[in-house]
Amino acid sequence: MRIAELLEKRRQGWLELERMCDSFRSVQYPFANKGSLVTRFSALYRAACTDLSMAEQYQLPPATVEYLHRLVGRAHSQLYRSRQFAKNKWLHYMSKVVPQSIFRDPCVKVAFVVFFGLFSLSAMLAKSEVAFPGFAERILGPEQIKTMEDSFSKPLDGNLNQYIFMSGVYIKKNTSIGLQCFALGPLVLPSLCALAYNGVVLGASFGYMARADVEEGDVFFQFVTAHGVFELTAIALAAASGLRLGLGLFATSGLRRSESFRLNAERALPIILASVVLFFMAAFTEGFVSPSPLPYFVKACVAIFSSGLLMYYFVVLGYPRPDIEREIANSDDNPWRTIGVDRAAR
Amino acid sequence: MKAQTTIDLTAVITTPENIQFEYRIAGPFRRLPALLLDFAIRTMCLIAFFILMVFVGVAVAFPFGVMVFLFLISSFALDWFYGIFFETFWNGQTPGKWLTKIRVLSVDGRPINAFQATVRNFLRLADFAPMVSLEMFAADAPPAYIIPTFLVSLICMTLTSRFQRLGDLAAGTMVVVNERSWVPTNVKLEDARVVSLSEHVPPNFRMSSTLAKAIALYAERRSRISIGRRTELASHLAKPLLKLFNFRDDTSPDLLLCALYYREFVSKEAFSDAKRFAPPPTKDSTVSLLVNTLPASIDSLPPIMKTPL
Repeated sequence: MRIAELLEKRRQGWLELERMCDSFRSVQYPFANKGSLVTRFSALYRAACTDLSMAEQYQLPPATVEYLHRLVGRAHSQLYRSRQFAKNKWLHYMSKVVPQSIFRDPCVKVAFVVFFGLFSLSAMLAKSEVAFPGFAERILGPEQIKTMEDSFSKPLDGNLNQYIFMSGVYIKKNTSIGLQCFALGPLVLPSLCALAYNGVVLGASFGYMARADVEEGDVFFQFVTAHGVFELTAIALAAASGLRLGLGLFATSGLRRSESFRLNAERALPIILASVVLFFMAAFTEGFVSPSPLPYFVKACVAIFSSGLLMYYFVVLGYPRPDIEREIANSDDNPWRTIGVDRAAR
Repeated sequence: MKAQTTIDLTAVITTPENIQFEYRIAGPFRRLPALLLDFAIRTMCLIAFFILMVFVGVAVAFPFGVMVFLFLISSFALDWFYGIFFETFWNGQTPGKWLTKIRVLSVDGRPINAFQATVRNFLRLADFAPMVSLEMFAADAPPAYIIPTFLVSLICMTLTSRFQRLGDLAAGTMVVVNERSWVPTNVKLEDARVVSLSEHVPPNFRMSSTLAKAIALYAERRSRISIGRRTELASHLAKPLLKLFNFRDDTSPDLLLCALYYREFVSKEAFSDAKRFAPPPTKDSTVSLLVNTLPASIDSLPPIMKTPL
């Protein structure tokens, strides 16, 4: 019995392989501390591979060939599993790869210049009422100014309940906006426009509130000082990641367009991750510290401390040093690595 | 990754064992149900969480702010991190994908890692674009642009060979069909005349591999085809063969193909012809070399297959 006999002989191995695939599906590391298991599994897998490669020669019926394709596929994805977030790699990734790749990225610089440039320009224009009359009013519109003044007309006060509540709102709202900036990156213009718009509007609000004749200004700065550092940096970083993603579609630097898009997405990832973390930190500061009736001195200290933290992380850790560069030059999780990029280019 | 040879919904993967195997790629119509299922599951989770919160809030005098905080955080996490979490820890599947039997893979056939899962899930929003406002459906609805049209992902999928959406392109992934495999069964040939007819086929007739494949495909599927259609399909192949074998013209084409299937794949007679196992002349000679040097499975093969030449 030609085919029947062959199938009967091989079927036991296939079924065993299939059973093993089934039992591994939900296990995270099926092969940990199980040498004999992995030996058996790979032996069965190799046998199935051999059967598949010989299928043409044995003239196996197409249904069996398709079955083998699926079986080998399943076993393959069990044997060559995804590398999880390894715990010891986390520190390495967060302390070396992320700051280094953010510091060297020209898109981050562009986004920072655009955002903080427009922010300071708009703030200056809005503040000097004499030299540029009506600038803030035209940018913000009378209704928004009215709302802003109303919300900062009373001195800051709150209770724990309200603080927690508001930090939840900020996390959901602001982080979602940051992630949207990243997702709209492939279209380039939306994330640049959102960045510029935010820069101008925020700058105008700050400038307007800084005017000597605006009474609500004191409360406003009481409120924004503490979390402003984290929040503004996070906005600029989110837009930078979107910009990096979109740039990959246009500036391919010799790669195929799809490959360049993939590579630039990998490079945008550390930026958006840093941005998400900053949005979270900003939300907690905004929820707990900003609305509290703490003296301005404390809030200013928080702002100085957080600026120092960001400086240390992005500049001190990020500054290109030969030893760190050598260390991460070939590591898998570094998107700017030299190895693998040429492989991707092929 | 080899270039696709046929215009087909398959991706060919070459493994480190130097074996090529195929994945069937999942198209938009397989992926939409998974998306909707995931959305339904997320919504159910949120509702369940909400109800739980209400009960806990009534039972324990929990501060209102904390509950709202927890609820907002969980809805945020479900929105953005649901897919990342499951695709990383479930080997490329979310519950919706698991139910519709599809799986995310790297384009080179390896399972996806956490970075790829993050990129493709963060970019989901771009794939949903352009969003349509509620106003289009009801004039008094607020102008909230929340209804996804999926146009970006649909266009992107039609332009790429592996049905990749924007997020897939960015992460270097594809979605493949991951159906539970079935046990291959031999084709049941219930008709006794099949055996007798197969004995009348000239012994020197040798099938080409493509003919064998076509006949096997036919035999595997004939049980699902109506009798009239079987005759119609089989007669294309059977007519020239009938002439070749000098059979009577009114032999049932279906029966003839079954007989050939029996002779080629089932019958013992086939084994007596040792020449049959020689590699077809069109294949290059490395194949026969491979047969001789294969250690893993040769022992367990039928005896005749040990000596292919």
